[in-house]
Formats: sequence, structure tokens, C-alpha cells
Amino acid sequence: MNDPRRKVVIVPCSGIGKTYGTVSREAAYEVTEDLRPADTQLVALSLLVLGDEDARAAVADNPAVTIDGCKLACATRMVEESGGTVAQDFAVLDAYRRHRQFKPQGIADLSEGGQKLAHALAEEVAAVVDDLSGDGGEDA
Amino acid sequence: MPEFLELTVDKFTFRTATDRYYNSEGVWALAEVSSLPLGEGPGVRVRIGLSDFLQQRSGDVAFAEVMSEGTVLAFGDEVAVIETIKAEVGLPSPLAGEVVEVNQAMEITPEVINQEPYGEGWLAVIEAEDWEADRARLLDPQDYFALVKEQAEEELKKR
Repeated sequence: MNDPRRKVVIVPCSGIGKTYGTVSREAAYEVTEDLRPADTQLVALSLLVLGDEDARAAVADNPAVTIDGCKLACATRMVEESGGTVAQDFAVLDAYRRHRQFKPQGIADLSEGGQKLAHALAEEVAAVVDDLSGDGGEDA
Repeated sequence: MPEFLELTVDKFTFRTATDRYYNSEGVWALAEVSSLPLGEGPGVRVRIGLSDFLQQRSGDVAFAEVMSEGTVLAFGDEVAVIETIKAEVGLPSPLAGEVVEVNQAMEITPEVINQEPYGEGWLAVIEAEDWEADRARLLDPQDYFALVKEQAEEELKKR
């Protein structure tokens, strides 16, 4: 990334008890903890809803990638309402349409299909992070 | 453009188009107007799709698979299966006949079911075997609207 202080903010769905929300969060964790930890920062949607100053500052100062669990698109809407810019919005349903072989089921214990879908989605998000960061590879 | 009966329950508003018939599962049937005199050309063609209530209750559609053209169905046979974020839902045909056209949008953009259930989100056209007989077994818009009201209020109580 050109500006070393800037990180891509990842904002997943906050839907607890929803399969697609769980896929969204699992994908976000994988990106921020495993795939691109140096280039990304996870921001909880609930903090934006509560108006947390640090969370609002993070989305206001950095490009955001949102991962929505349903068509309400709460993550995308909250980033925009918090003064941020959504560089790319992902929807779990669209990801499932691209990867039909990975059927997500379960909530606390995501099915194997759900885990694979989360991984596939995480890879797609990581690719966008690379584009936004201006470097084309994995974190060292 | 059809007119609608509208029901608001909690934060949801359900519309029932008044120009068509419904089975109790929420699949609508709309007979196409033929330009040919009665008895000439093909039989009555009936377009089918999901009611607004059924699509909202089922959730966002990920995939829709409709029986292919040429399939002959009896009344109540499964004509399509939709996979939504909540469940897989089998849809019974509201009439007997042969599938003569399938909405190609179902393969690429099945979300149109959620966006325009009474319009571009139609599923198929069926050439009716005996439309008059099947229509008599379906609910008119007022009766289906009453059923929607009953089912929506039941679901609200479960919360």
C-alpha cells in the first residue's frame, strides 16, 4: 500500500444466528488474521452502529470492503452512513451463486460447504485488498 | 399492470395481485389472452410464478430450477424448486398441462423472483390440459389474500 498507515477496512455482517452472516464473518476473519493481516483491519459492524469513534475513524480514513449476509446490506449502509467509502461490497449470496458446490448450512458449527464458501470468499476479498493496496501478493 | 391487495404485518408488506389465481402454497396462475378464436390454435396458456408473500417468506433466492419444456405435469406436481438462504422450497403446479416455456432469467438472475414476483420473476408458461377445471380448484385473489393474512399473523405470533 502506498501509504503505510492506511489499511483496508473489512466490515462483515453482524447477523448472529444466521448462516450467511456466519460465512461473512468467517471470511472476514480469514482475510484479516491469515491471508492479509498486514494490509487489513477488521471493524465490527456493531461498533459502527453504536457510533464508536475509533471504528468510525477507521472507515472514514481507509478504503472499506464490506461483506453482507443479506440484501439489507447493513455493512455497506453503515460504512456509508459513517462517512466511509466502500471500495468493494461482497454479498454471501452472490458468492454462493459463484460457488454452488459449497452449500452453507449450520450456524455455530458451519458445515464443510459453508467453511469452503467462506474460504473462497476470503480469497476473493484478499484479491481486492491486493488491488487496493497496490501490491499484488500475500503478506510476508 | 395488475392491481394489488396489500397487507402490512409488523414491518412487512405483502401484495396480492388481483388479476390471477393462486394455489394455497402461493403459486399464482395467470391465463394468457389468446388472439385466436376459441378452439383454434393451442389451448389456454397459463403463466405461473410465486406470490409476493411466498417469495418474502422463502427468502432471497440463490437458485431456481424449473421443469424443462415438454414436461407434462398433473395438478400439484412439482414444477420448480427454489433454493433460498433459508431453505429449499418445492413448488406445486397450480394446473395440469405441458411446460411450453421456461423463464430463462431463472438460470442467470433468479433474484428477479424477489424483485418482481408478479412480473419478470415468472417461472414458466404451461399449456393447460383443462384450465377451467383447474381454475375451479384455485383460490381467487380475495381468498388467497385472506389466507396470507392468516399465515402472516400466525408467523408473527411465533416470534
